[in-house]
Amino acid sequence: MIYKLLVPGPIDDVEQVRVLEWHVAPGETCTLGQLVVELETHKALVEVRAEHPAVLRTILCDSGQWVAVGAPMALLSDGADEALPDSLDALADMPLAFEVN
Amino acid sequence: MSAEAAAGTARIFFREAIARALAEEMARDPRLLVLGQDVGAFGGSYKEFTGLHARFGDDRVRDMPVAEAGMVGVGVGAAALGHRTLVSITYMDFLMLALDPLVNYAAKARFKTGGRLRVPIVVKTTAGAKGQGVAHSQCIEAWMMGVPGLTVLAPSTPADAYGLLKAALRHDGPVVFIDHKRLFPKSGEVPLADHVLPIGAACVVRAGTDVTVTSHGYMVHIALEAAERLQAEAGISAEVIDLRSLAPLDTGTIAASVARTGAIVTLEEGQLTCGVGSEICFRLGEIMGRMPRAARVGPLAAPVSSNPVLEGECLPDAARLVAAVRKLLE
Repeated sequence: MIYKLLVPGPIDDVEQVRVLEWHVAPGETCTLGQLVVELETHKALVEVRAEHPAVLRTILCDSGQWVAVGAPMALLSDGADEALPDSLDALADMPLAFEVN
Repeated sequence: MSAEAAAGTARIFFREAIARALAEEMARDPRLLVLGQDVGAFGGSYKEFTGLHARFGDDRVRDMPVAEAGMVGVGVGAAALGHRTLVSITYMDFLMLALDPLVNYAAKARFKTGGRLRVPIVVKTTAGAKGQGVAHSQCIEAWMMGVPGLTVLAPSTPADAYGLLKAALRHDGPVVFIDHKRLFPKSGEVPLADHVLPIGAACVVRAGTDVTVTSHGYMVHIALEAAERLQAEAGISAEVIDLRSLAPLDTGTIAASVARTGAIVTLEEGQLTCGVGSEICFRLGEIMGRMPRAARVGPLAAPVSSNPVLEGECLPDAARLVAAVRKLLE
């Protein structure tokens, strides 16, 4: 199964975030609870953790890029070889946990 | 913004525009000191001083006690003796405690000493309502506009905050630099190169033909929202002017716009009585030789509650501005 990792929300006053740092590289497997990416808001850091083990396939927004709450940041899959679709529309949301610090 | 202009910019948070302007000016001028509550290792209430303490150290970025009159007094004295100072007053309500050194000393020093003493101090403060109640929500910039010798600036975007703060930090007299709690969540394109805006220059941020709307600070965003609604709902073309500088006030830009549109509506979050809008309208009358069709939009004449429903009732919003423009143009 293929998943899209979305910018989590809602976060008070935040419409867009800036990607600070990816902690998983394409091809690597995220374990349950692993920190995947850190995001920056106007006053906080947002830690996004995997709530389901999966392989990170493609990063859609690199460090320093701005992305809207609810927009896709990356694609993941259960198997490392699953073919990625052209459209993200039908993909399931990647289960995640997030913490605003 | 054109593609060419955008190529020389980077998108940053409002707080980062403040921090960048300060860091660049501190590097440029070793006499510049920053004083205030939580401006040191903590990095500021809105993180707008982040990185300055680590880079410039205790001597130049100084945490101060909760004593606004003392803070501004020290800032005025240091500036009079050859430093430049930026004093951070966290909320504009607390500036009331520091009016004596600011108004009676900083603003008058040049006059009192026949031009021998200059006080290059910037008092940076955060105005506006955002859920914090009667004594942490006020906008008293109109009080400051009536003090001879004070410059009063109020940006609405990260780029203007950057360019106006740099202008303030190079100015040779006291400046009150006013940002707003609701500006800090915003981000925007800011020039990568050194960029100093002129003091006393308003900016037409939306061209229009039927009515001129003036505002400053966060309320410029409300004015722009209302202008879009006026166009969509009533076919009314509103020109929006971001004042940027309240003292000196750019009456030339405002009068030229009103000469084209024939009507003006002012918008501010501070009280309307003796407010920014009153001043603008009366000066327009003096310049034009007659009062233009005019209306003022502001908050209720009431304290701002910390209850969000009552706060919303008190504050001016796009709906009230739309209604005021439509009534004026009926």
